[in-house]
Amino acid sequence: MKIHGGAKYANDKKKILIVDDSELNRSLLSDMLAGEFDIMEAENGMDAVVMLQEHELEISLMLLDIVMPQMDGFEVLAMMNKKGWIKNIPVIMISAETSSSYIDRAYDLGAVDYISRPFDERTVKHRVTSNYMLSVKQREMAEMLSTQVYEHERDNRLMVEILSHIVEFRNGESGLHILHVSTFTEMILKHLLTITDKYPLTPAEIKTICNASALHDIGKMSVPEAILNKPGRLTREEFEIMKNHAADGEKLLKDLPYRRNEMLIKISCEICRWHHERYDGSGYPDGLKGDDIPISAQVVALADVYDALTSKRVYKDSFTHEKAVQMIQNGECGAFNPLLLKCLDDIKDKLEKELHEVSPEHKMEQSLQVNVEQMLKSSGSDLSDRTIRLLEHERMKYRFYAQLSHEVLFEYFSSPEMIKLSEWSAEYLGLPEKIINPRESDFGTRVFSKVDFNRLMTRMAETTPENPIVEEKYLLNIRGQNKWNKVIVQTLWSDDENPKFDGALGKLVDVNNETEEMQQLEQLADHDALTGLLNHQAAKRKISKLLSDAGDKKYALLFFDLDNLKVANDVHGHLFGDTLLKTIADRMKNNTRASDVCARMGGDEYIIFMQYNGDPEPQVKRIFNCLTKPLDGFDVSISMGIALAEHFCGDYDALFHMADQAAYAVKYSGKNSYKYYNQLVGVSDKTEA
Amino acid sequence: MDVKQCYEKMGGDYDDVMSRLRTDERIKKFLLKVAEDKSFDNLCENLKTRNIEEAFRAAHTLKGVGLNLSLTRLHKSASAMTEALRGKTEYSADFEPLFDKVKEDYELTVSCIREVE
Repeated sequence: MKIHGGAKYANDKKKILIVDDSELNRSLLSDMLAGEFDIMEAENGMDAVVMLQEHELEISLMLLDIVMPQMDGFEVLAMMNKKGWIKNIPVIMISAETSSSYIDRAYDLGAVDYISRPFDERTVKHRVTSNYMLSVKQREMAEMLSTQVYEHERDNRLMVEILSHIVEFRNGESGLHILHVSTFTEMILKHLLTITDKYPLTPAEIKTICNASALHDIGKMSVPEAILNKPGRLTREEFEIMKNHAADGEKLLKDLPYRRNEMLIKISCEICRWHHERYDGSGYPDGLKGDDIPISAQVVALADVYDALTSKRVYKDSFTHEKAVQMIQNGECGAFNPLLLKCLDDIKDKLEKELHEVSPEHKMEQSLQVNVEQMLKSSGSDLSDRTIRLLEHERMKYRFYAQLSHEVLFEYFSSPEMIKLSEWSAEYLGLPEKIINPRESDFGTRVFSKVDFNRLMTRMAETTPENPIVEEKYLLNIRGQNKWNKVIVQTLWSDDENPKFDGALGKLVDVNNETEEMQQLEQLADHDALTGLLNHQAAKRKISKLLSDAGDKKYALLFFDLDNLKVANDVHGHLFGDTLLKTIADRMKNNTRASDVCARMGGDEYIIFMQYNGDPEPQVKRIFNCLTKPLDGFDVSISMGIALAEHFCGDYDALFHMADQAAYAVKYSGKNSYKYYNQLVGVSDKTEA
Repeated sequence: MDVKQCYEKMGGDYDDVMSRLRTDERIKKFLLKVAEDKSFDNLCENLKTRNIEEAFRAAHTLKGVGLNLSLTRLHKSASAMTEALRGKTEYSADFEPLFDKVKEDYELTVSCIREVE
């Protein structure tokens, strides 16, 4: 893989990806196109997918061969379909295969054109340029379309709002009433769809109902102002006139000279006529009952009542949100569909926030945006240039920080499975930046051991979008050296309703020094500084362990102290005293096995814990003789007691006590010798029996 | 030997390649790449190790190279080889005469290219 031509970023030339396994073919094409385009090359399908993964948004067009190793052209097209790249990147096939079945299959998979070999410079240039222009135009058109749709939608809404505002104006209602009714209607309907499939409404229908809701009271145009704005209770006659507004609204719309069949008009008619019906049949004008009342009118009725309750009117003060909800739920304001009451109950907190906290203008603009986006979503519009620049910017930022941090950073993609290392990390690990099929690669078998890598993969697969972090410690092989590393990974998920595992971001932190330091500290804590032997605590730990695992093994504990350290210090100086202590330690180490335990208890007391077969005497005798060899003319003298752990089931302390007693007996009977505890006078010899 | 003479000698179509690639300079540049191209070696190697699928790809690439540079003679023998290998998995004695022809044409082509100044 390589990228021709100058700077990787901020290049005005458009990028083209040439995918062909023949170097000669690639350079032929590149030669023909390099004047107008920046050329990227991939030598097989897998390489191409890797490059697409990274440069999707920069690649303006792709030339693709069919017969290639690793992954052929059809598989690349299939992958591009799966990932949605095919929508944004025009693909021209460049194969020597000219059979129509090949060409058809490529077209079916979304290729836009086919250039057969041999390549002719004019043809190649022409096809590439025109297909490129086509896709650019398409992109521009999509942006124009989105602006147009946006403005059209805004004008539409404006008209509806002006119209309904006139009604409100006559009515003396707050200018926010229709906006509130529309917002309320939308939220209730959307929630309704999540709790039941009884009312199968499409997003477009919901949108229309919300728009139509603005017109629910246009029939009030025919009600005299004196009645509309009468502060007190209406008389029976006045109320009858007032009630006419429902049927009048419908009539007004039905009398429209044209477009009577439009969904907006039809739904507006329903809402106008029936937004004062009651679920129990007690409403007007028709006394419809239950779901004979269209769901649109049912929801608007509820919205209308709610907003009337929470607003100040000529004949009443406003109630709080809580009070209004409570009154509705108690049936004080008429009967409603129980499902709608459930919706109200479910989303009442959200409702209050939306209706009373969010500024109406912002709210309107926002919902307009959402609507336009939704409209365009299905027509598959493109990302704007600005978005691409922002992404490019983000990537530069990432590389820059990755470069500085000197940590191994990697990205993991799950399909096709690959790992991408940052530039620095790749160099540090001595691996390529892009690692395809990581489980089989050096990364997954050498840097990580196979077992560790599989464990990491499993741990990643076990994460959830809510809990995406994995932290593990592994011994990694980094350029031949084993180093402890902490691996921290955050898994990434698609933002669908059912999030899918997409990949992960990860980092390796070298904790080897910390781990080693820790081990050194442990070493220090366990050893005697002067002689390097174990200290008493550590020896006790080790010996206890050996004793408990002893099984058939026979052990002896030798305890001794120097008889004449004081003389050595007094006569030859303290330095010599230290040398003597160290020499004893060295002699101990030289005359025992690595599996034996040698320790200095403190002062001039030492122990040896060793395994023996049969009779311990030859070993003991040899050790005693070695220890007591003269040092620089000084006669080394020790008193040693030995306790045998054969058939012994006590603990270390008991054994130590026995050896200590034997040594004491030696001291008492003339020093510079050794005795076995079980041979002491007065000690019963049951163990030897 | 100039490019045109070279094409005559190795059985290529100079007029065709000229009409497509437009300059002697460029044709020469890519002829030199033919001499470096590994497809022929790959073909030999994969036939020897009986890796027929890979041999097909190599022959296919060689065919494409011949086509692109109007190396008519080499293209023809490489095409025949490609078609014989297409869809096969087992080695067959039928490959041998076809391969000998590719070898002969390839060697001629390369030796002619080496003489171009």
